[in-house]
Amino acid sequence: MARHGYKYSAGKLIRHGLTRGDWPRMWRRPEARSSYDVVIIGGGLHGLATAYYLAHNHGMTNIAVVDKGYLGGGGSGRNTAIVRSNYLTPEGVAFYDRSLDLYNSMAQDLNLNVMFSRRGHLTLAHTDSALRTMHWRAEVNKLQGIDSSVIDPQEVKKQAPSLDVSADTRYPILGALFHPPGGIVRHDAVVWGYARAADHLGVHMLQETEVLDILCEGGEGPDGKGAGGRVTGVRTSRGDISAPAVVNCTAGWASLISNMAGVPLPITTHPLQAAVTEPCKVFLPTVVVSGSLHVYVSQTDRGELVFGASVDPVGTYRVNGTLEFTEELAGHVLELMPGISKMRLLRQWSGLCDMTPDYSPVMGTTQVDGYFVDVGWGTYGFKAGPVAGETMAETIATGRDADLIAPFTISRFTEGDLVGEKGAAAVGH
Amino acid sequence: MNPNRLPVRPGEVIDRETSLAFTWNGRPHTGHRGDTIASALAADGVDVFARSMKYKRRRGIMTADHWDPNLFVQVGDEPNVRAGSRRLVAGMEVSAQNVWPNLRFDIGAANQLVGRFLSSGFYYKTFMRPKWLWHHLYQKVLRKFAPGGRIHWETSTHGAYDKRYAHPDVLVAGGGPAGMGAAIAAAEAGASVMLVEHEPDLGGHLRWGDADDLAVLADLAAAVESHPGIEVLVDSTVTGRYDHNWIAVMQRSHEIAPERLIKARAGSLVVAPGLIERPYVFAGNDTPGVMLSGAVRRLINLWAVRPGTRAVVLSANPEGDAAIADLEAAGVEIVAALDARAGEDIVEVEGRGRVGNVVLGDGRTVSADLVVIGTGWTAPTSLLNMAGDRPVYDPTAARYFPNQLPDDVLATGGITGNGTTAELVEHGRATGTLAANRALRNRHDRRSSTARARSPEGPIPESLHDTRASLARTPHPECYRSSSHGMVDFSEDVSSKDLVQASREGFDSIELMKRYTTVTMGPSQGKLETVNAAAVLAETRSMDMVDIGTTVWRPPFAPISLGALAGRIFEPIRRSALQDWHEDHGASPLLAGQWVRPDHYGDPVAEARNVRENVGIIDVTPLGKLDLRGPDVTKLLELVYVNRWQKLDVGRVRYGTMVAEDGVVSDDGVTGRLGEDHYLMTTTSSGAGAIWEMLEDYLQTYRPDWNVHVTAVTGGLTSINVAGPRCRELLLRLVEGVDLSPDAFPYFHVRRGTVAGVPDCIIWRIGFTGELSYEVHVPSGHALHVWESLLANGEDLGIMPFGVESQRILRLEKGHYIVGQDTDGLTKAPSAGLGGLVKLDKPDTLGLPELRAAYARTDLPILVAIQTDDPEVVPMEADQIVDGDSNRILGRITSSRMSPTLGRSVCLGQVDPSLAAAGSKVTILLIDGRRILGTVQEHHAHVDPEGVRQNA
Repeated sequence: MARHGYKYSAGKLIRHGLTRGDWPRMWRRPEARSSYDVVIIGGGLHGLATAYYLAHNHGMTNIAVVDKGYLGGGGSGRNTAIVRSNYLTPEGVAFYDRSLDLYNSMAQDLNLNVMFSRRGHLTLAHTDSALRTMHWRAEVNKLQGIDSSVIDPQEVKKQAPSLDVSADTRYPILGALFHPPGGIVRHDAVVWGYARAADHLGVHMLQETEVLDILCEGGEGPDGKGAGGRVTGVRTSRGDISAPAVVNCTAGWASLISNMAGVPLPITTHPLQAAVTEPCKVFLPTVVVSGSLHVYVSQTDRGELVFGASVDPVGTYRVNGTLEFTEELAGHVLELMPGISKMRLLRQWSGLCDMTPDYSPVMGTTQVDGYFVDVGWGTYGFKAGPVAGETMAETIATGRDADLIAPFTISRFTEGDLVGEKGAAAVGH
Repeated sequence: MNPNRLPVRPGEVIDRETSLAFTWNGRPHTGHRGDTIASALAADGVDVFARSMKYKRRRGIMTADHWDPNLFVQVGDEPNVRAGSRRLVAGMEVSAQNVWPNLRFDIGAANQLVGRFLSSGFYYKTFMRPKWLWHHLYQKVLRKFAPGGRIHWETSTHGAYDKRYAHPDVLVAGGGPAGMGAAIAAAEAGASVMLVEHEPDLGGHLRWGDADDLAVLADLAAAVESHPGIEVLVDSTVTGRYDHNWIAVMQRSHEIAPERLIKARAGSLVVAPGLIERPYVFAGNDTPGVMLSGAVRRLINLWAVRPGTRAVVLSANPEGDAAIADLEAAGVEIVAALDARAGEDIVEVEGRGRVGNVVLGDGRTVSADLVVIGTGWTAPTSLLNMAGDRPVYDPTAARYFPNQLPDDVLATGGITGNGTTAELVEHGRATGTLAANRALRNRHDRRSSTARARSPEGPIPESLHDTRASLARTPHPECYRSSSHGMVDFSEDVSSKDLVQASREGFDSIELMKRYTTVTMGPSQGKLETVNAAAVLAETRSMDMVDIGTTVWRPPFAPISLGALAGRIFEPIRRSALQDWHEDHGASPLLAGQWVRPDHYGDPVAEARNVRENVGIIDVTPLGKLDLRGPDVTKLLELVYVNRWQKLDVGRVRYGTMVAEDGVVSDDGVTGRLGEDHYLMTTTSSGAGAIWEMLEDYLQTYRPDWNVHVTAVTGGLTSINVAGPRCRELLLRLVEGVDLSPDAFPYFHVRRGTVAGVPDCIIWRIGFTGELSYEVHVPSGHALHVWESLLANGEDLGIMPFGVESQRILRLEKGHYIVGQDTDGLTKAPSAGLGGLVKLDKPDTLGLPELRAAYARTDLPILVAIQTDDPEVVPMEADQIVDGDSNRILGRITSSRMSPTLGRSVCLGQVDPSLAAAGSKVTILLIDGRRILGTVQEHHAHVDPEGVRQNA
């Protein structure tokens, strides 16, 4: 808990309203020091959470979080903010359930309302094979103590009345996996919550500071980079910073940054597109996901429908977005809810996803001493942000990979021990 | 009637002969054809159209066009209708949206009293304790405040919004003087032109101009309309520019659809959107009666509506000055004409439902009911942004200008500078000529250099240089905010004070400020507020506007209905050539992936029994079928399948399994070698498309040197499996040119021959059912004939068609697994029991490193056959196998059925390796909570593990 920070409360809101006094900054714009104990590259959810848990759980406060833009400008601010824990494998369930726990108490822990809306999460089944997979997930989840069950079309209609559950549609809804604890969170607030709490504990957020190189010595590659070496710091657009530990939390740019340390990653970067409609009075109470139709949709408290889809098939760093995405999206949304054809699409955007061959992250220590990675989160980095930060902090503080992330270390690609949450993750959000 | 309607105006667009009756909040009103909803209501004396989002402040006309954030209304079942641009139609039921209980009295207005406590982002700072109250109360209250109209999902239906494709050489976005000039010049240069105008008529700002403007407009419009090379689309918006000038145009009020998406591949795009007038920030700037100069000029000149009676005008430019003349002509008294260029200013407007008093910069307070603001312009650079441009702020002209554009995107008109009408037209013409030249050169290039070239149409046009004289950047004062604070984002209720607070709290870059305060996030998407927001941030941080930047404009430029975007989705259900026959014969339909298939014809168990006893036929057309030809097919098969292919002789068939790069089983099927360089490969039905794409991907990117031609023939060949002990007898009656004797045509061989008189059918001997069976691939045009011939000739043999369900029973009895059912996204090859099939010593196979690692492991689950100890209990597919009474998962049932052959339940399941040995007891947790015992079998096959029947 950010104990020595300025505490938010209803009382403070009233006092500021009466006095019209300024609120203190949520985080400072500090001058960079010449050295830190840990430099975290990437001021998104994962980087900030790692910084916060390092400071809060492990007492390490001489930390800089470096970002080439503004805080939360990458995937943290571009995702569709869905959280759930109804995964397929016991490992996946354990990991995401911890994340859901952290989200659940985040408003109190960080003293900032991240508006976690535990509204229920429906994964629709349009084929009997999809329904079979839903049954499987439900049975696994039940045994893990996760609230998750298969419901029939009539119950689906009760949970989300605007869905067309009639049998004569192109993609009839045969049932759904219903996961009441799933929901949506105000994604930006999560970023700000961690940034503010980390700042209160002394962490430096260095925005508009681009990392140009990772400085190493002793490695087998050029400039002392690569296996067998160790990290000495980073070169940034605002000068060199020395540090014995450097953490890569840069999602879509992860492989480019990692090359700077001589640690190639088996990651390709793909855009994932999303879109939002104009607001309408709230009519959709739950999160609705359809794997067959490649769409997930929820309605924000502001009345907008937020849509996401699957990653674009071709790797690129461009985030322009395509017309075809909006056409297919609209077509599929109207397959599910034909009555909303008069809602208007307001805005489309893309984020960059760092995809690994086994749809699982790459976390922990690497072959370069002091260089840590928390990357490869692909399309579900947001759900995992809190627990990733917590376990990465433990890994950095102890120098040893935390138990929960042991299956995700980089060595699995050379030892041929890929993880594979694909069965669950590919189903979507 | 129409108390504010003026006598006839020279440029008015209303037809006074018509009277259109409509209702506003249930009360009757009338207007004329040509009116917008807003102009008709304004003519009838309506001041207040909406309540603001957060504070529920009364809102009236501000811009009187499509972008007016205060004029969102509900029309029947359509929410968020722009009353500023939507033409009036007789019978419309118009109402204010997001008000409770009504527009006149809204309970939510109480928020204004406590507004000081509801600063930007207030909700992040409270509602945290007690925790349960957030979920049960606070959040529900917040959700009630969601803005916008009401979507009537119960009664609305998805209309038929068809789309159109177009291929203009030049697409001009904007039909003002520059845009019309560009269209005419481009057409004169020989280009085909699509001219898209947002408003219902061509002309841009000339439409509400003086007599000279109207005369120029008439000439230009006549020239445009009469040129056969120009297609004019009015009431249409260019909403997006994507790669390679893929342009989205939204056509409204089309006669057969409410909205229509036109997708145009344009050679050149000319961006000529003009300028959007910018609001001015001061206290009370959102009071009804505060209007921008363009709004009053449009109201007076287009719709002959008097916008008020006593006006204060603040002007910083000639357009603002022109508003004064228009107001005077409309009989509006000018209480004060303030010149912002001379430092005159407005500090505050007082009044609730309408402007009452106006506090001026010199301290005077005057009484007025109308405040007119003409303080500057925003360049709508959206389409330029989408083309990769980052416009740059020019402090002298107080607006943004294009920076660097690709060759196929050109800008003209107000977005590039100022000028007289003649200068704008001239710049437009020069731009049109240049755009046409580039497009025609491009077209010539494309036509003469592609494989399917027509003969070139003469020499390529000479390349023109860009010799356009730039339009001037007339100096303009930087008028963003008065000395007081006021509204910046009208749709989101975000004030300049909110922005200052956000900046001081650390949200001091434009993107962070946007995310915290929601400024520019509403339906306006920055068109009115983004520059003012940047200006407030610059002021707060004492920075130059140039260094602040703006938020990124993203598509669409104007919101598009989901119905128009969707159109009719083109995802037809696939049907085999026999599906009509199936349906005529009582087949129960099963949707399987893209296909509809016969699940059964009434009694799946009887169908299955008949296959075991006599002969049955099943339509298996959805099997993916790829015709592979070329000298390197074997290499391709070696790459994608885990087993070997080099020694497959012509006339042989082999079963193959694929794994993905992570070693997980991804597809399977049989492939037959039809000739030296000719194979027929089959895939799973669901994998058909993906495997085809994958092969193409590898051939085009990884091994372009391999000579392999892949043709998808899934639908072209109808596949019929003939199975059962009497199937050879049946085929002997129909097949010519193939020796069907067991020695001449053994199991896993392929032959080509004539079936029922149809030549060139492919016949292979395989067996998914476990019976003697032949699969016949027939050219689909003859499929029905072959199918009916089989039935007719098999009558005395007891032939029956069978469906997917009986096939599932039969294959489960035989222990054949289904990829995706008995395997899953985590199942690596060793788990599937592939055994010796997998060759780890091959030089290169997809997923090979992972396979090697997987085979070194001992902890992977194993697919086994399981029989429940109680033969009557059929576990559900997905039931978990657990460790005794605990919740520890040791596997699951993947397939289960009651076996008609054995008269007991049979299963396949994945189990922990410790349970994989034959005879192991497993505990199955049924969905009802019971735990039952089952026994692991020695073979996958419950029936005929030796294969006597299929090898017969």
